Amino acid sequence: MVRAVAWRNVRLRYKSSFLGFLWTLLNPLLFLLIFLLIFSEAFPQVENYPVFALSGLIFWSFFATTSAHVMGALVENAAVLRSLAVPPLVFPLAQLLAGLFNLFMSFIPFAVILHLFGRVPHMTDLLVLPIVLCFGAFILGISLALSALNVYFRDIGLLWNALLPAFFYITPIAYPADLIPERMRWIAEANPLYHYIAAFREVLYYGRIPNVEQWVVISGLALLASLMGWVVYRALRPGFIANY
Amino acid sequence: MEAGRAMIELKAVQVDYLVQRHGIRSIKAYLTSFGSKRLLERKRILHDVDLEIRAGECFGIIGRNGSGKSTLLRLLAGIVEPTSGSFRVHGHVAPMLALGVGLEPELSGWENVRLCRMLMGHDKGNMDQANDYVRSFAGLSDADLEMQTKRYSTGMMARLGFAIATATDPDILLIDEVLAVGDVAFQQQCYRRIEELKQRGCTIVFVTHFLSEIQRICDRAACMENGTVVRIGSTHDVGVHYHGLLGIPV
Repeated sequence: MVRAVAWRNVRLRYKSSFLGFLWTLLNPLLFLLIFLLIFSEAFPQVENYPVFALSGLIFWSFFATTSAHVMGALVENAAVLRSLAVPPLVFPLAQLLAGLFNLFMSFIPFAVILHLFGRVPHMTDLLVLPIVLCFGAFILGISLALSALNVYFRDIGLLWNALLPAFFYITPIAYPADLIPERMRWIAEANPLYHYIAAFREVLYYGRIPNVEQWVVISGLALLASLMGWVVYRALRPGFIANY
Repeated sequence: MEAGRAMIELKAVQVDYLVQRHGIRSIKAYLTSFGSKRLLERKRILHDVDLEIRAGECFGIIGRNGSGKSTLLRLLAGIVEPTSGSFRVHGHVAPMLALGVGLEPELSGWENVRLCRMLMGHDKGNMDQANDYVRSFAGLSDADLEMQTKRYSTGMMARLGFAIATATDPDILLIDEVLAVGDVAFQQQCYRRIEELKQRGCTIVFVTHFLSEIQRICDRAACMENGTVVRIGSTHDVGVHYHGLLGIPV
C-alpha cells in the first residue's frame, strides 16, 4: 500500500507541469548557478567548486523537499484518514519513498553533470547508498514527529518553512567546513545535517571512505531520530481523528 | 453466510475523542501557558452502546446531527477504537463514509480505481470482474476512464466513487448519508446495487437523517441521541420515536 501511495505522490508531484521530472534537477541546478556566480570567486581555496557545491546541494534539496512533504502528509490526507481504515503511517512513509525514488532518479543526470565538471566516477561512490539510507531514516524520524505535531498545530508547517533557509546557511553546503572558526565549531557540529553533508562530500568530492567515527555518528543520529519520531507519533496518534 | 449469525456485536462500548481544549489553537497559546493548560481533553462521543446486527440484515441508524452516528460507523469501519467495552465485527468491511474519498483529480479513472481499492483494502480478489463492474455501474467508457478525473462531472465522480466502494462483495457494507448527492437516477441505481448485495447475503448498515430512506430499504433500525442508542426495533417503531424526539407529529 505504501508503494502504491508513493507512486501516486511521484506522479502527482509533476503531473500537469510542463517540465515534469526535470524540476527535481532544475532546483539544485538553479542553486548551483547562483553559487557559481556568487561564491566560486569567494572561495578560491576550494578546488573544482561546482563539484564541491553540487555534492552538497543534491542532498540538501532532498532534505528540504522530503521533510516538507512528509510533514504535510497526515494533514493533506485527512479526508481519507477520516473515512477509511488506513494506518496513518502509510502517508508519511509513502512520501519518504517518493522522495527516495526522485533522488535516485536524479543521480543519473547528476552523475553526467559531475562528470562534465571533470569528476571521475569511482567504486567508492556506491558508499552514497548506505549514507542515503541513514539520511532517509533521519529525515523520516524528524519529519514524522513534525507531521504528527502539525495535526494539532498548523504553525509547525509554517515554522518549518521559515527554519529551512536558516539551516541551509548554518550547514556548510555552499562553503567549506574549515572556514568555520574553531570556537564556533561545536555549534556547527551540533547540527545533524553537518555530519550527513560531510559524509556525502567525503565520498563524492574527496573520493574517500568516511571514517568509523563518521559512520557511528550518522547511523546513531538516524536511529535516534527514528526513535524520537516513532515515540512522538505513537503518543499523538490517539488524538488525530478529532483534530485533522 | 449463515443467516441470523451476529456480524456486529457491541457491548457497553464507549468512545472518547481527544480534542484540543478551547483557546489552544496555536503553539503560542500552549507555550505561553507554560503547561498550565492541558493540550488535549477527553470528550466522550459514544457511551453505553449496545448493538447487535445479524448476518444479511439491512440495519438503519437514524438520529440528529451530532448524535454520534458517524462515530459509530467509524468504529465499525475500524477507523477509531473503543475506549472501553467489547466490540466485535466479523468479516470484511467496506466503508462508504464519504463518496469519492481518495479520488485524485489529477489521475485517470483507472489509476483511481486501483488506488482507491488499495486504500479500502479491496486489492485482493477478482480484479477484472471488479473493473467490469465499475465500468458498467459508472456508465463510463474506456475513453472516460483513461481521462483525468478532474474532467469528470459531479455525477460521474459520484458514480465512480460508489462503484469503487461496492465493486467487491463485502461481508458488511457501511453507508453514511452518501446517497444525498447525485440525482434521482443515481440514487435509484445505488438502491438497486444495495438490494443486489443484500440478496447475496451482505450485511448493510445504513446511516441517514431521512426516515423514508430507512423505511424503504432497512429491516430494522436504531435511533441515536446524545452519543448512545436510545431505541432499537422495527423501522416503524424507531421512526415514531425519532419523530417524537424532533417534535414532529407522525
